[in-house]
Formats: sequence, structure tokens, C-alpha cells
Amino acid sequence: MIISKLNLNKALQILNESAQVFVPAFEVIEDRAAKKSIREKKFLPYREDLEVELEGPNTVKPPKDILFPNVEKLYQYKAAGEDSYIRETLPEETPKILFGIRPCDMRSIKSMDKVFFTKNYVDSYYARRREYVTIVAIGCTETDRTCFCDSMGIDPNTAPGADVMMNRIEGEEAYLLHAQTEKGEALLKNLESLEGPSENVKAIRTDCTLKIRKIPDLDRKLAEMFEHPIWDKVTKGCIGCGTCTFVCPTCYCFDIDNENYGTEGCKYRCWDSCMFSDYTRMAGGANPRPTKKERLRNRYMHKLSYFNERYGETLCVGCGRCIANCPSHLDISEFIEKSSAVDPKAEVYTESIRAAQGKEA
Amino acid sequence: MTELTQARTEERIREEAKKALASGEVRAVVGWCATRFDDRTRPFFAETAEECDLLVWNPYCINGTAKFALDDRYPDQKLALILRGCDSRAVNRMLRDKQLKRENLYLIGVVCDGKENPICEECQHKTPLVYDVLIGEPAKEQIYPERFRKIEEFEKLSPDERYAYWAAQYDKCIHCYACRNACPACNCIECYADQYRVGWQGKAADREQNQIYGLTRAFHVGDRCIECGECERVCPMHLPIMRQTRKMLKDINELFGSYEGGLSEEETPALGGFRLDDPDEFM
Amino acid sequence: MSIKKDAAWEPRILAFCCNWCTYTGADLAGLNRMKYPENVRVIRVPCSSKVNPQFILRAFQKGADGVLVCGCHPGDCHYSTGNYYTRRRFLLMQRLLQYNGIDPKRFQARWISGSEAAKFRDTVTEVSAQIKALGPNTKFVGAHYDNAAYQAAKEGGENG
Repeated sequence: MIISKLNLNKALQILNESAQVFVPAFEVIEDRAAKKSIREKKFLPYREDLEVELEGPNTVKPPKDILFPNVEKLYQYKAAGEDSYIRETLPEETPKILFGIRPCDMRSIKSMDKVFFTKNYVDSYYARRREYVTIVAIGCTETDRTCFCDSMGIDPNTAPGADVMMNRIEGEEAYLLHAQTEKGEALLKNLESLEGPSENVKAIRTDCTLKIRKIPDLDRKLAEMFEHPIWDKVTKGCIGCGTCTFVCPTCYCFDIDNENYGTEGCKYRCWDSCMFSDYTRMAGGANPRPTKKERLRNRYMHKLSYFNERYGETLCVGCGRCIANCPSHLDISEFIEKSSAVDPKAEVYTESIRAAQGKEA
Repeated sequence: MTELTQARTEERIREEAKKALASGEVRAVVGWCATRFDDRTRPFFAETAEECDLLVWNPYCINGTAKFALDDRYPDQKLALILRGCDSRAVNRMLRDKQLKRENLYLIGVVCDGKENPICEECQHKTPLVYDVLIGEPAKEQIYPERFRKIEEFEKLSPDERYAYWAAQYDKCIHCYACRNACPACNCIECYADQYRVGWQGKAADREQNQIYGLTRAFHVGDRCIECGECERVCPMHLPIMRQTRKMLKDINELFGSYEGGLSEEETPALGGFRLDDPDEFM
Repeated sequence: MSIKKDAAWEPRILAFCCNWCTYTGADLAGLNRMKYPENVRVIRVPCSSKVNPQFILRAFQKGADGVLVCGCHPGDCHYSTGNYYTRRRFLLMQRLLQYNGIDPKRFQARWISGSEAAKFRDTVTEVSAQIKALGPNTKFVGAHYDNAAYQAAKEGGENG
């Protein structure tokens, strides 16, 4: 199906009638004191006055919080004699459409599906949200300088697993949409009235800006490199904040805590970060990951090695968000290159000029 | 009295770094190295003479170096830091707060020429205030007359507008603690926010917890803030964090006299002392 | 907001009272059978400088409509200098809260000595009346993680 760019708003309105549509758009906060406005691109519930931008750079924060919210109530309780209760609070969901997510983010949702659905355990909260979501993915037309998904085995033009795949048409202000699932077919049925002519159209193909040299079996190589001196070096500049984990589309760790008010309270879960000291802190105070070296190593290992071992795929999808947002400008793609090239048995690791600059050989 | 060129300064930094390492007293030199992007550098620990040649000096050396001295509070050997004006004040801050010992540091000061960082326009001290060796000719101290202008503008808004503005900002906060980790005044051995079993700070990143965190941090560092702007620079959600701490500084200046943080190792932060004739607005 | 007009509404005010002066003063007010509004909850603290600014933030978050910190008059501190720190700290705190949109009347500090029972009564009565006039506090209020309440707070929290 072909939909012209001019009809996009109309299409979103139609979809928004039967479901809540989330689109990448600009949130604007007026800063009257500094006489400027702050614009932030993020997934927002569709409104007519929203400044939607499907193309251009990806959102700063991934759309993962629509499926896996930052704070989620699990159950509430009351401990007061006969009035006591424990009540599960499964999300009351209504249909949602995630419109315009990128192939890297689609892949990250598939990775989260593996975590929350497989290995004999289904997370009912995630499952409920996932069930109600229809995903319309869009092939990238423009990539950021930190985009390296194709080096991680993802094609920025296709999004397997999305219900509808959408691509810009070459030389035209229009999109080519095709359904990939039954949900997707149902969604496109709603849009039939907007269908444009479809003769000899060709979808735009885009390539990632950043190409990195990664050896295919890096996961197995890294598994042997736990004590490698490279870790000392690459983690020195880290300041130990949680930015990389919170902007990562595949970081799914959470913590469970409770909030009590008198005899009532609730259990909630919220995102956690392996960069924080309390992530591995034991009840007695011991911490097996005492410094940022161990913590960052865990993050890199999880993305590039541990997840492969458990689920057979790399958890880093190459979206580049951690590279773009790291306060210290650490770069996981640089680490992939360095660790691909390094001798796994080396006892000393010294940065060389080329490696430090991360330039092509 | 010739100004050092960028290339010459870089050369001098490398020389001094090598000299420091060769002395055998210094375990590493913290400076900046290049990344794959020309407009970005990253904090870098040079531990060998070859690695010293990776140190760079260019307009993109924007990360603070001083805070890395806290990674090891009980070092066997000295740590050398390459300091710009703001980094030197960060060192003063941590020395004053008794988090660092001067004898554990070797300070290579560099007269800064301003970096590709908006806060540098507001800089009043481009020459390091504390150093063992200085690269470049001391620059004249500047006065930034608009230091509190944005605060004054913000104060003119109505209370509800102000609250709504901050609420929208704290809704964006993702609780990553980058501001805390980059801030030289946030130098507690264990932050209250990490002691979450105590209940000071909830772990959820929602508006109420972010408000508590934001205001607690603002108040806790407000009188010791050195105005280096690291908190705002590192914030991935671009919160105007300094607008809270600068408000504290503005009030301190109004109520207790002219004050600027990190100018010396001896200064007492406003909330760490008092005068008998302090304003008594309460009854 | 509509609840503001509710005549039956009584504010909840938290008063942190220093053990040596104000708490004794409050005690004396009680001994003298003085009447003051019952919507004030007193928390005894060893010194007014014991009051961490976080206590105040937490109080607002957990539903206090106003917070009062009371200590000895300057020069009278049981620990010599504690209240001088209080004076600086809460002067700044009040301004920072005001800057963040909280009415300065909602957070006040007063000096009340052990013999000033009448002053305690008058202060509490005055503060209570001021806060009653302001209405319930909706700023910095916790959402109790109840989705509906959280949404309501998010949408309606900008007023009052």
C-alpha cells in the first residue's frame, strides 16, 4: 500500500480513533526565562497539533517504556486484620500502535520478548502490554553518525517482527507499507481509503554511517577475556552514571521495591542500572562489582557475550544511543573494534594511537 | 608574552605528562584523548610514555578531569591531573571538603582558552588557581556580568509557572545520576541516593522522586558549587540543573556577601559557617 | 482547584520543634491550657539545626500542607551555635522552595523560647490560618504509585 506524506496526518488520525497511537515527535518545553524553547524528540501519544517527525535522527530515548514502563505497579496490599488483601494490578490495556519505530528498536523489542517470554517464564505485565501493541516500523532514510546497526547484523531497511513495514519511496514524498502479520493486515485495512497509486515504485535503501570491524565470534572471544587488561583501560573514563543503560533499547533490568503508606502499600518495579553500586550490593553490604570497571565490563559483556550464550543473539542492536549520550564519550563500537583486534591472551594492554582515535586502518 | 598555540600547548602537555610519569611518583596522568569523532574527546588515563602521546588539547576537551581523582581515595602513588581553570576549582572543592589530599596529586595546570561548551562563555577563571606546573601565560581574570541574569528572569515568572516548568523538567529526568557523578561538589563517599534502603530516595524515576532528588542535590551542593557546568553538560535529558544551584549562589551572594566556590582550599562554604549578624528574617 | 473551596478542609501542618526551647514552650502552652489549632503535628528534634532540608521535602511529598521549624532565639542555642546554622540554611531553603513554586508561607521558621507559650500559640494559629487560606498543597505531593492518582496529580498538580 502506498500512502502519500500529505496523507500521513490523516492516517494517524484514522488509526488514533481505534487505538492510542505513539509517534516520534517533538516535545517542546518553553523556557521563558532564557527566552527559548527546549525541543526533545520522543515517542508521544498522537495529537493533531503534534510536530511528528518520522525520518531524521532517532529519538533520544527508545520506545521501550511503552512496553516496559520505567515504573510499574505490580500489586497492592493492605495489612489490617480482616480488611487485609493482596491485589494484583495487571495493566488495564487498550490497543496501542507504535508508529514509526526503527529497525534497531524493533530488533530490541524482539530481544525483550525473548527475555520476558522464553525460558519457561512469561512476565504477565509485559505480556499484557505486548499483546495490545501493534508495531509499524519504518526503514531509516537518514542515519546518525553513531548508527552502526548493520555492523551488528541488522538491516536498517527491514524490520522482521514488525506488524507493518513502512519504507520511503525513492524520489517521491510517499511511503510504501506492507503488512507482515495479521495484526498488520488489519491495521492497513483501516487505511485503504488513503491508498495512493502504486506503479513501479522502489523503496529507498539506506546504509549505516558508522561501519565497524567486528569479528563474527566476538562473543566467544570475550567470554575468554574476563580478566583481560583491556577492561582497566576502557573503563577508566567512565563516570559511573546510568545514562547508557537508560537510553539503551535493550536494557531490561529492573528492581522491585515497595512504597508503604500506613497499613497500605504497593509493590512496584522500576528500571535499574548495572552501572549503580546497589545493583549487585548484597544484604550484608558486600559487593562483587565494587568499581566501575566491573560494572562497565558487565554491561559490555552482557550486550556482546552473555546474551549470545543464553539467547543466541547479540544484545547490542547498534542504535548508537549510548555513544551519543555518554557524558564521557565512551563508545561501545570502539570497544567492539578494539576487542576484536586485541590478543585475548595479552597480559598488558596499551592504547595505540589508531585504536584510541578509532579511525579506519 | 606570546600566547601558546593549541599545537604547542598539546606538545607541552605531553612533555609535562612524560616528565611526571618518569619521576616515578605518578601512576597516571588524566587528560583527554581523541575519539572517532573529531569534535569529541574523552577522559584518558595515560600510564606510559607512549600513551602520553595520545593526550590531546583542542576545543573539545570539555570533560572535567578532577573528579577522577576520587576513583581511588587511598592511592599508593600520586595521580597527575591536567587542569583547566574549572578543574582546578574542582580540586580546591574536593581538598576543602577533605576528600582528597594535596600530596596525592600532581597538578599540571593549563591556561584554558574556552572550549566548545556553552558554559565556557560564563567562565571567570580561565587560569588554574592551584597547580604544580603551569602551561601558558596566566590570563587576566574576567567578570561575567550576566552570572545571575537567567535566575532573575526566572524569578519574575509566577509561582505556578515556575512549578510547572520544573515539573516538566523533572518529568524528563531519567534518574541516571550523571549530574551527581560528574559534579566535583558531589563528593560524598556514599551518596544518600545510593542508600535506598534508608528510604531517603525512592528508586522509581517518576516526577516526585526526581523532584526530591533534584532539590536535595541542589541544596546539598548549592553553597559549594563551583559553576563548572558539568551537571548540565552531562545531562542526557538536558535539564537546566545549574539554574537550581545558581539560585542558591545568588541568594548566598545577596544575603551573606560576595561568594564564589572553589577559589581556594581554605574558604568556608556558606552553609558550613555563620556570622552573628546574619540576616534574621524569621521572628 | 475545586477542593480549595471546601470549607471543612483542615490543613495538615508539621512543626519541627527544638527540644530545649520551642518544645518546652509548647509544653508550657499546654500546661496553661492555651488553645491552638489541632491541625499542627509536633515533632521533637534535639536542635532546629537537626532538621535536614530533606525532612521538609519529604513532608510535602507525604502530604503536609505546611511545615514549620521552630528553635531557640539566636544566642540561646543549647548547643551554642546550632540555630545560627538553621538560620542560614532555612533562609536559603525558603527561597529555593519559593523559586520552585512553593508559597513561602508554606514553609516557615520561627524562634520561640521555652517561656514563650503565648508566642507558640499565636505562631501556630497564624501559620494555620495562612495555610488554610492557601488551600491544600498540590506541589511536590507524592502519587502513592496509584495510576489514577498519579495521573490526577500530573494533570492537576500545576495549580494551588
